[in-house]
Amino acid sequence: MFDDLDVEYLDRRFEPGAFGEVESFLATNGLDLEDGVEVFVVLRAGRRIVACAGLEANIVKCVATDPLWRGEAISLRVVSEVVHLAHERGHSHLFLYTRPNNTAFFGGCGFRPIVEVPGLVTLMENTPIGIRRYCDSLRKLRRPGAVIGAVVINANPFTKGHRWLVERAAEACDWLHLFVVAEDASFFPYRDRYALVKAGVEDIERLTLHPGSEYMVSRATFSSYFFKEKNVVGDCFTAVDLLVFRDHIAPALGITHRYVGTEPFCPTTNKYNADMKYWLQADLSAAPPVTVVEIPRTEYGAVPISASEVRRLLAVSDFEHIERLVPPTTLQLLKANYATPKVSAA
Amino acid sequence: MKIVREALAGTLESSDLMVRIAPKDGGLDIVLESEVIHQFGAQIEAVVRETLDRLGIDEGLVVVEDKGALDCVVRARIQTAVSRAVDEWTADWRALA
Amino acid sequence: MSNRLRRSMLFLPGSNAAMLSTAYVFKPDSIMFDLEDAVSLREKDAARLLVFHALRLPVWEGIETVVRINPLSTPFGMADLEAVVRAGVEVVRLPKTDTADDVRALEAEVERIERDCGREVGSTKLMAAIESAAGVVNALAIATSSKRLIGIALAGFDYVMDMQTERGDGTELFYARCAVLHAARYAKIDAFDVVFGDINDEEGFLKEVDLIKRLGFNGKSLINPRQIELLHNAFAPTEEEVDYARRVVAAAEAGERQGLGVVSLNGKMIDAPVIDHARVVLRRAEASGVRK
Repeated sequence: MFDDLDVEYLDRRFEPGAFGEVESFLATNGLDLEDGVEVFVVLRAGRRIVACAGLEANIVKCVATDPLWRGEAISLRVVSEVVHLAHERGHSHLFLYTRPNNTAFFGGCGFRPIVEVPGLVTLMENTPIGIRRYCDSLRKLRRPGAVIGAVVINANPFTKGHRWLVERAAEACDWLHLFVVAEDASFFPYRDRYALVKAGVEDIERLTLHPGSEYMVSRATFSSYFFKEKNVVGDCFTAVDLLVFRDHIAPALGITHRYVGTEPFCPTTNKYNADMKYWLQADLSAAPPVTVVEIPRTEYGAVPISASEVRRLLAVSDFEHIERLVPPTTLQLLKANYATPKVSAA
Repeated sequence: MKIVREALAGTLESSDLMVRIAPKDGGLDIVLESEVIHQFGAQIEAVVRETLDRLGIDEGLVVVEDKGALDCVVRARIQTAVSRAVDEWTADWRALA
Repeated sequence: MSNRLRRSMLFLPGSNAAMLSTAYVFKPDSIMFDLEDAVSLREKDAARLLVFHALRLPVWEGIETVVRINPLSTPFGMADLEAVVRAGVEVVRLPKTDTADDVRALEAEVERIERDCGREVGSTKLMAAIESAAGVVNALAIATSSKRLIGIALAGFDYVMDMQTERGDGTELFYARCAVLHAARYAKIDAFDVVFGDINDEEGFLKEVDLIKRLGFNGKSLINPRQIELLHNAFAPTEEEVDYARRVVAAAEAGERQGLGVVSLNGKMIDAPVIDHARVVLRRAEASGVRK
């Protein structure tokens, strides 16, 4: 009870060498120092580390306690500390990945399971009302119909290719729910991407445009660290994200079909599409399957239109070609905000 | 007083509670999780409501993760969370007692 | 000298809800809720509210409640004081006391708050912790600075740093202990010794307790409840001491009844300090029996 432990923060930016000690501590507990940890909370008895918990943005990682000190009290202490530290750093909604047999332990630390990739990993969040309230809000936007579709796009930026995909999907179903990825990890910020999609699909009927969320193609649902460590990247890098969609989002909105563009260029997205068929359709969840429909990309001059091509052309200010790949609304924004001033010839 | 930002108080340790408060329009939304919810859930919620009421808080989302805290600890944690979630907190010790 | 036994003063971090809710079961003579060094900057506000409510619990019967506030020169000190005086704390412990003026400044604020909240003026007692060379040099002025003072305490950690040394076998504290003790005895208030840091070193702890008891300290600050019983036992008188004290007190009472100006035992005159000491011995025996 009167354990007299000292709390210490180790920040990668200020103490680049400090993680070495934590790494050895993790190793004695059979854990690896995972990529991406920015800061650790460490509890010390004297100079000896007896517990640690790491943080990468809003994801809690590398929680470990000394076997000699192991006991609920010290775990609750270190997790409480990391929750406060995250709050100070601007992250109040936290996620963590753990083996399914550890969910009870983290349950005691205030984390609730969102989905489990059977036998492999469970994604948890530090609130009892996170995914539940999100789905409650989606449920209010349910629409009647036999075929309810969904499309998720990053739109970095919104092209004629995206427009083509959304149009075809909307034609194929009674109502289409369109989501824009909210994670700000792209060249174009979310605010711009969302505004361009909004302007670009305004005239399409039977469509609801949804802002993205942390439950869809986010750092939290798409965290690759666990899988990389366990060498099962190929199997379920994308499983958590897709199962959150299948178990929570699709049932809330009554989604029966998910539409995706074919992916000739990007291996990550291509893999995502292949995985999607498995995790959304296979008989592995209590939630009903969602039919995955691939829509061939529209092409310009025999080359499929892609957002990465638009970014390449933007880098060299080739607006003449960009104009052929993007709707006028996107072109307008690119010219106004992203044109690099031409260097005048001396 | 009005909740203007998200705030956190307390810990997950035994005999304590963790409180999160966030702005929300249109009334109080109290979510209580407790290992002793069947026995004491109603009492804890009553203490939470009374403490908020005495601070003049009638809007906000309050999520409480209780670990078997005494009523006075519940009061202290709620008050701390509120003090961190409002602008210009001044302690009125009579109202806090 | 006050009538109260103050052998053990148990430190509790003011931010720890579990400890605040349960510490009364350990029955120390005094319990000291810490708002200062044991509380991180982030939790200063939280600890203040926890201690405010903990003080108001009806469980402290027989235990003196003490709160170590932050120095008034910090942004936290005044708010701490407002909270604990209103919550009815028995003793406010002022850390880092360097001069008598530090105590007088505190006393003025305490009186203002007492008047403001309707608490009897003078009912809040004070205790000054001496943690620097300046404090040790000014110990006598500090000890006599206020009627509210019930004692002064030496705090070793900051003191040895100020003296450019470190904790060792006690030699480094020798002068400070003697200076604080003499000031306290002159002022007729209690004297408290430093915390013993290593909770696993029972032998070292008992050795230090033996030393400070022989020097004349009333008690010691403790950081672990396990140390309470050890300390109380070490302070408990032997059977012979109790016997003798009983006879001294009986003689004194007999003398009083008979209206004699002089008290005698076995034909020898007994001075007032001997009688006072005998009463302390009996109180200690009453509190925790004879030494085991």
